[in-house]
Amino acid sequence: MREDRVDALRVFEGLRIADFAWVGVGPNATMQMAFHGAEVIRIESSLKPDTFRSGGPRPAGVNSLDASAYFAKFNRGKLGMALNLQHPRAVEVAKRLVAVSDIVTESFAPGFLNRIGLGWEELRAVKPDLIMASMSMEGQTGPHAGFRGFGLTLQATAGVTGLTGWPDRQPVGTGVAYTDWIATHVAIIALLAALDHRRRTGEGQYIDVSQLEASSLVLDAALIDALNTGRAQSALGNRDLRYAPHGVFPCAGEDRWCAIAVTNEEQWRALARIISEGEELADDSRYASAALRLAAQDELEALICAWTAERSVEEIEATLQAVGVPAHRVATMRDAHEDAQLAQREHWWGSEHPVVGDVSYESPAWRFSDTPPPRPPHSPLLGQDNEYVYRDLLGYGEEEFTELLIDGVVQ
Amino acid sequence: MVAALAPYRALDLTAEIGALASRILAGFGVDVLRVEPPGGHASRRRGPFLNDGEGSLYWAQLNAGKRSVTLDLEDEADRERLRGLARESDFLFESDPPGAMSKRGLGFDDLHGAAQQLIYVSMTPFGQSGPKAQWAASDLIGAASGGLMSLCGDRDRAPLRPSVEQAYALTALNAGSAAMIALHARHVTGRGQHVDVSMQAAMANTLGNARLYWEMDGIETIRAGGARAFADRATRIVYPSADGYVAFVRMPRGMTDLAAWMRAEGVMPRFDAEYWAGISIAGSVLPDDDEVAELEAEIAAFFAARGSQQLYESGQRHRVLICPVNTVQDLVESPQLAARVFFCDVEDPALGRLRTPGAPAVLSRTPWLEGPAPTVGQHNEEVLQAAGSAAERR
Repeated sequence: MREDRVDALRVFEGLRIADFAWVGVGPNATMQMAFHGAEVIRIESSLKPDTFRSGGPRPAGVNSLDASAYFAKFNRGKLGMALNLQHPRAVEVAKRLVAVSDIVTESFAPGFLNRIGLGWEELRAVKPDLIMASMSMEGQTGPHAGFRGFGLTLQATAGVTGLTGWPDRQPVGTGVAYTDWIATHVAIIALLAALDHRRRTGEGQYIDVSQLEASSLVLDAALIDALNTGRAQSALGNRDLRYAPHGVFPCAGEDRWCAIAVTNEEQWRALARIISEGEELADDSRYASAALRLAAQDELEALICAWTAERSVEEIEATLQAVGVPAHRVATMRDAHEDAQLAQREHWWGSEHPVVGDVSYESPAWRFSDTPPPRPPHSPLLGQDNEYVYRDLLGYGEEEFTELLIDGVVQ
Repeated sequence: MVAALAPYRALDLTAEIGALASRILAGFGVDVLRVEPPGGHASRRRGPFLNDGEGSLYWAQLNAGKRSVTLDLEDEADRERLRGLARESDFLFESDPPGAMSKRGLGFDDLHGAAQQLIYVSMTPFGQSGPKAQWAASDLIGAASGGLMSLCGDRDRAPLRPSVEQAYALTALNAGSAAMIALHARHVTGRGQHVDVSMQAAMANTLGNARLYWEMDGIETIRAGGARAFADRATRIVYPSADGYVAFVRMPRGMTDLAAWMRAEGVMPRFDAEYWAGISIAGSVLPDDDEVAELEAEIAAFFAARGSQQLYESGQRHRVLICPVNTVQDLVESPQLAARVFFCDVEDPALGRLRTPGAPAVLSRTPWLEGPAPTVGQHNEEVLQAAGSAAERR
C-alpha cells in the first residue's frame, strides 16, 4: 500500500458508524466516510430489506437480495450486519452496538425508533457523546412529519419539479430521485461539523435533517424572492432569465442533442460567425446585447437549429469549443460511461462483487491531492459480517449468538 | 451557544458556481470572508432584485452570514494581502479556470509552502486537468455533460434543464462535503491539501441507476417526462389536480390504500386493487397499455377534482404515496415549514428586514447562524487591519 493511501484511510480511522439508514440519502452519506476508513456497519434485515436490494439492474436471472447493482453502488466499503428490529431482543443488540459506535444514522419514518425503544434519549444514555443523524422527508416534527415519500416525490414537494418543464406543458421533474443528492451532502457536512465539535468539546448531539428543508438550498434565489416579493418563478424550459441564446439543439443522428449557452458578447459573436459563416450576424445590431437576444430567442434558436441539425454532436462540440462557446452534447448514459474527461479522472471505479459481478460505480466528485482514498471493497452481502460484529465487536459468545440466530433476532 | 465550526475561517473567491459551499459552512459557524474586487462581486448585479433593479436577492441568498473584504487580485499589494489572509485561514474556495490562480501566484502550490494548514478547494466545470479542463462552460453545460439532462424532459422534445442552476448547486454541495472531509484529514496529517471538484462529475453522480442499466444491460434509460423510468419502461407520476399538479407513485401494495382512500371520499374505484397491487413496474409481468391507460384515467379524474394540498393531506392520511408539485409560493405557505419555524428574518444592512430560508439541518447542541449578506468591503477595516497587525507581529 502506498504511503498516501495509508493516510487516506487514517482520516476516519477508529470511527464507527452504526448505519440504520436505508435507500439513498443515508447510505450515500456514510459511504463517503467509509471511503476514508470509517467502519460503517449497515444494519439490515431480510424481513424488511432495503428497497434498493430488490431494485435493478441485476445480473440476468439472479433474484437474490445480494444481486442489485443499485444497492451495491451505495454501500461500498461498509460491513453488513443482520438484525431484525421488529424482534423484542433487537433493542438489546442495537444498544450494545451503539455503545461502541460514534455515530448513528437512520432514515426511518419519524417516531419508529422511539416506538421500539431506540430513540435519541435511549441511545445517548448508552453512549453519552453519541452523534445521531435522522434523515427524514420533512423532519422529525410538524404536521407532515409522518408523511411518506422518497426522492422522486420529494423533489416535487421541494419545488424542484415545479421549476422543471416547458412553459406550455405540465412540469416533469428531473427523472431521478434528485433531492437524494442534495440531502446526502447536507448530511455529510452536518455530521462532520458535529464530529469536529465533539473532538473539541467531547459533546455529542442529535441532527434532524429534513430533506425538504435541505433542498431549499438548490432553488437559487427563487424561494427568497417569493418570500420577500411574492413573485413565483416558473419553469422556463431550457431558457435562462439572463442569457440568450441558451438551449438544447437537435443534432444529426437519433435523439442526439447539444446544449449551447451564450453567457457574454464575445461568445455570441463567436457563435454568430460560425453559424452564419461570416460577420453579418455577429454585427447585426438587432442582437447586440443580452436583452435584445432574450427578446429574439425564437428566431435565434431557429437559426442555431438549422446549423446543428445537419451536424454530429462531436463536430458541434469541437467547432464551438474551439472558439470558446460553451457547448456540450447532452450526454447519454453511454456518453457518460465513455466520457474522455471522466475517464481521465478515473471517475468510474470498478468493483468486483461476488453476486453482482464486475461493475463500475461513481467515485466522489472531488479529488484530494494528499489523501486520495483507495478503491473501496464491494458492498456487503446481507449479514456478511455477522460473525465479526456479534462475536468480536459485541462480545456475544458462541451459544448466545446461536440463540439469537435461532430466535430470529439475527435475520 | 457556540456554533460547531466556530474556530475556522474560510476565504471565498468563487464565482456563481461555488458561493453556496461557504454559505453553508458560514451557517455552521465558519468565519467566511467574501473576497470581492473593488466595486463588488459581479453576482451583486444579478436578479431577482428586491426593488426595481436594486438589492440582489440572489446575492443575499448565496452570501448570507459572510463578511466582505475587497481586494484587487490584479494588484500585487492586494495579492500579498490575500496571501497573508491565507496564512490565517483554514479554507480557500475558488472557481477560476485551471491555472488562472497559479498565474497570479495564488495557486495551491504557491500558497501551500507558507500556509501548510490551508485546505484549498477548487471548483471548475471539468476538474483541474484532462481533455476538457479548459472547455468553456456554464451551468447548462454541467447538466448536459454529466448526463442528467438526457433523463430529464418529455420524450417528444429536447432534453430539459433540471430546474434552476442545479449543476452549480451540486458542485458547491460536493465542495462543502469535500472541505469537511479534508478538515478531518488535516486533524490526522497536520496539513491542508488541494481539493479538485468537478461539476461534470458532480452531475454524473446523480444518474440513479440509469448508467448502471447502460453498463450492465446496454439499455439507455428513457426520458420519461413526468413519469418514473426503469430503463426503457415508465409509470406516470405527475397528474393535474384542481389547482395545479400532484406527484403520485403507483407502488406495488399501494393500490389497496388508494382504493380505500377513494371510497372514503365517496368515489367507487372501478379498478381491481388486488390485481394492481400484484403488478410492479420493476417486475417481469406487465399489463398492456390499454389497461394502464384505463387505470390512469380513473386515478387522474379523482385527482383532477381536488386541490393539491387537500390531496396531500388526505392521501397521506390514507398512506398513499402522493405529494403536491409545489410552487415556491406553496413553500412560502407550507404549514410544515411554518410549524418548524424554518423561515427566519435577518436585518440586512442594505435591504432592511429580509425573510430567508433557514437551517438545512437542525443540530441539537450547536446553532445554525443566520446573518445578512455583507455590503461591499463592509469588513475591510477590521479584517485587513487585523491581518496587517498580525503580519507586523511576525
